Amino acid sequence: MKNMDLCRHTDTVNELLARYGVKFGIYKNNEFREQLFPFDAVPRVIGKEEFAYLEKGLKQRVMALNCFIRDIYGEKQIVRDHVVPEEFIFASSGYLAQCEGVLPPKGIYAHIAGIDLVQGKNDEWYILEDNLRVPSGASYPMIARDLCRRSSPSTFKEYHIEDNRNYAQLLRNTMDYVNTGGHTVILTPGRYNAAYFEHSYLAEKTGAHLVTGNQLIVEKDHLYFIDYSGKKEKVGAVYRRISDEYLDPMNFNEESLIGIPHIYDIFRKGNVALLNAPGNGVADDKGIYYFVPKMIRYYLDEEPILQNAPTYLPFYEQDMEYVLEHFDDLVLKDVAEAGGYGVVFGNKMTKEQKENFIELLKSEPRRFIAQEVIDFKDIDILDNGEWVPRKADLRAFVLMGEEPVVWKSGLTRFSRNPDSFIVNSSQGGGFKDTWVLSR
Amino acid sequence: MGIISVENTDRLYWLGRYSERVYTTIRLFSDSFDEMIDSYFDSYELFCKRLDIPNIYTSSEDFIARYCFDPKDPNSIYSNLTRAYDNCITLREEIGSECVSYIQLAMYDMNRAGVSEAPLIELQKVVDNILAFWGMVDDSIDSENVRNIIKVGKRVERLDLYGRLRLDAEKMEREVDRLAGRIPRTCLKYRKEALPRLKELVESSEIDYYGIVKEVESILEE
Amino acid sequence: MKELRFEYSMKLEFETPVEKHRFTLKCVPRSDKRQKILDLNIDVYPKEFLSTDEDSFGNQCIYGYSEGSHDHFSVLLTGRAVCGLSSSEEDAKEARTGLFRYQSEYTKPGPEITAFTDSIRITDDMTDLDRAILYMKALHNRFCYVPGVTTIDTTAEEAFAGGRGVCQDYAHILLSMCRMKKIPCRYVVGMLMGEGLSHAWVEICQDGVWIPLDPTNNLIVDDQHIKISSGRDYKDCIINQGIFVGRTVQRQTIHVLVSELNGRL
Repeated sequence: MKNMDLCRHTDTVNELLARYGVKFGIYKNNEFREQLFPFDAVPRVIGKEEFAYLEKGLKQRVMALNCFIRDIYGEKQIVRDHVVPEEFIFASSGYLAQCEGVLPPKGIYAHIAGIDLVQGKNDEWYILEDNLRVPSGASYPMIARDLCRRSSPSTFKEYHIEDNRNYAQLLRNTMDYVNTGGHTVILTPGRYNAAYFEHSYLAEKTGAHLVTGNQLIVEKDHLYFIDYSGKKEKVGAVYRRISDEYLDPMNFNEESLIGIPHIYDIFRKGNVALLNAPGNGVADDKGIYYFVPKMIRYYLDEEPILQNAPTYLPFYEQDMEYVLEHFDDLVLKDVAEAGGYGVVFGNKMTKEQKENFIELLKSEPRRFIAQEVIDFKDIDILDNGEWVPRKADLRAFVLMGEEPVVWKSGLTRFSRNPDSFIVNSSQGGGFKDTWVLSR
Repeated sequence: MGIISVENTDRLYWLGRYSERVYTTIRLFSDSFDEMIDSYFDSYELFCKRLDIPNIYTSSEDFIARYCFDPKDPNSIYSNLTRAYDNCITLREEIGSECVSYIQLAMYDMNRAGVSEAPLIELQKVVDNILAFWGMVDDSIDSENVRNIIKVGKRVERLDLYGRLRLDAEKMEREVDRLAGRIPRTCLKYRKEALPRLKELVESSEIDYYGIVKEVESILEE
Repeated sequence: MKELRFEYSMKLEFETPVEKHRFTLKCVPRSDKRQKILDLNIDVYPKEFLSTDEDSFGNQCIYGYSEGSHDHFSVLLTGRAVCGLSSSEEDAKEARTGLFRYQSEYTKPGPEITAFTDSIRITDDMTDLDRAILYMKALHNRFCYVPGVTTIDTTAEEAFAGGRGVCQDYAHILLSMCRMKKIPCRYVVGMLMGEGLSHAWVEICQDGVWIPLDPTNNLIVDDQHIKISSGRDYKDCIINQGIFVGRTVQRQTIHVLVSELNGRL
């Protein structure tokens, strides 16, 4: 792999990425800046059979998560049957009481799921996190592939790789499947959002209209896009890239200026599809993660194909004991935090930090989960002409339509810092393309 | 015509205007720059006067540095290119990534020109990219409306600049004709009476340049 | 059992006209096991686009939009209610009851409420309702009814620490106390016999039925209360919520009149 022609083109591809404005925005010292997302040309390669296994496991997981959300905002049988304690639902910040009893078009809640995985040194894959709200990142490998093919056509002649540029079509299929009649739009918070490039690129590639909240209006029971002439065009599907709390000031955070007043009321009536559905946060926080394998057994009556990283819930007394005994071997995560924040390693704390943390853990056991530190299989990246191993994860995308579809690619993010386990782009990481071999 | 929002209509128009402003002012600046090398050190004073921008510059060096590259000077070429970029970046799904990329490239070249010892060479690349952008607009945008709004912006800006620079009647007439041919082919709401009025102004024996600038600046309805 | 005539009127006056006004009204009482609503009449101004809906808590909502400029917004609601048909309301959506065991935005207890709740001795043989009534009595003795010291944004802990407040505060504090002991309970907005403003109280869930308690008046609700809506706290039951475009000063007047219809029953 390291000798392939493509590697010689790392700089060229990065220049092309810059040319096409493949950036993400960050705020530093209250100032908005656009930053390039460093690309490493050597791809993560997943064999055909291995991917077929991942595909099966990912579909299973997302199916179960959808069943769970539907159950939670409906009958709550999983709570009644004591599989998931009600604390993990009602006290979770992702649970929205406003969503009780609301069934989205076609019964789908998580249309676009971004599932983060890592591969251990033993080659085993582990699920790290489920992202069912507004997972981002598909656009990066999509455009990078396009540019890599331009830079090094011979590479793509030689290897047999599934084309990942069909993501737009998969997304379009999902949007069309749930559309209640009318136009399809992608709702962005605006130009200064970190993922604005992705919003605009997906709009271009899917043919959906990119809109901000002020261009949409609810009148009586329907949603409309206001044309330049003042004409109102009905909208049937909104792929919204703004979070639940800002979506509708009349139903969620009343101070939101980027939302659409009353959009949730007409969603409740089934007159527009929102992708993803509001309220999904109840299924993807770090506390509920522990229960996903149980959900698979509960709803699908199947054994989970993909494993969680070994996780302990200090909420259970038995687990608390284990956590306290093995504190130094574990990584502790605050369930309410995301993006690599609120993560601490037991063995990296000073004595005082540890004492304080344990006190906090004992007073708020539900707030944390503890996990075994997985011995990651490192991935090589090219750093100033030298090959160096770095931590990396894989975000796989599962799209729900009539049937779940797993995108035959994914975003491989790596940490540029040799000592860091944190691969988030907001913390300076880079990315690779993910190849799935077709033979 | 496909559906398009008021905001995007507006952005397309201003993308046309700012890209033209950058293009024409770089070309004008190049002429002045040449004079300032060894003959008319203060020719920038005339430059400012003709373009109707405040002369806040202290020397020809200061002028070159700030008029071209100062992001804080609202009249600088840099500021105008930034405005074109800001409009462009929000129009990706209307005009396509290929079109957007040329304005992005112009922005990179502009940044390079700012730190170059021979800025004119890099500024030429900015001009090249704007020309490529316009070519791409023509070549790749399917919607006639979208294409024409950008072009109307470009024509309005050019007429505005030419009016300020008091170019000869022939050039002015040509620009008025091009604008008149283009604007009805868009969804833009404009003052219908402005076109015959402009025609009249450029055809009169004594051209009222101020009148032309005034007329063209207010051609779109608020 | 009483038959009551009710009239709810709300007027919002804008010093300078506003436009693009969006509103959600939760002011419509509905029939349940405890009360029967008859001859309901609702008049909203302006009413360019009006629609109705039921929120996740089962409350009736009227939502709408008025694009044009207007200098006032008003609602007039009239009707009759037969109250006290039963002492409790059945829990139609049993699966949701659990959510009312958890603290919400307004009810999160701080040190003051925690200490107060812990100081009240409860025993294992008491039912949830017994405990809630005990808390209500203790609260009523401790807290003073004084209008004007708290606002609609005051939380239970803030109000309790200040020692004074109105019906909204009484209800929030009692909810906070009950939820500390995992007693499912919800916030109720409605109208009380007499003349004045809207009223707020609490419902406790026990054995699948909701039993209303009025902590402001230290009583178990009988036939003088007309229920409008319920939810986790004040926020789920805002009678008139709105946003509009315009810089203006607004003045709201609310008038509620509930009287007994004599000789009809």
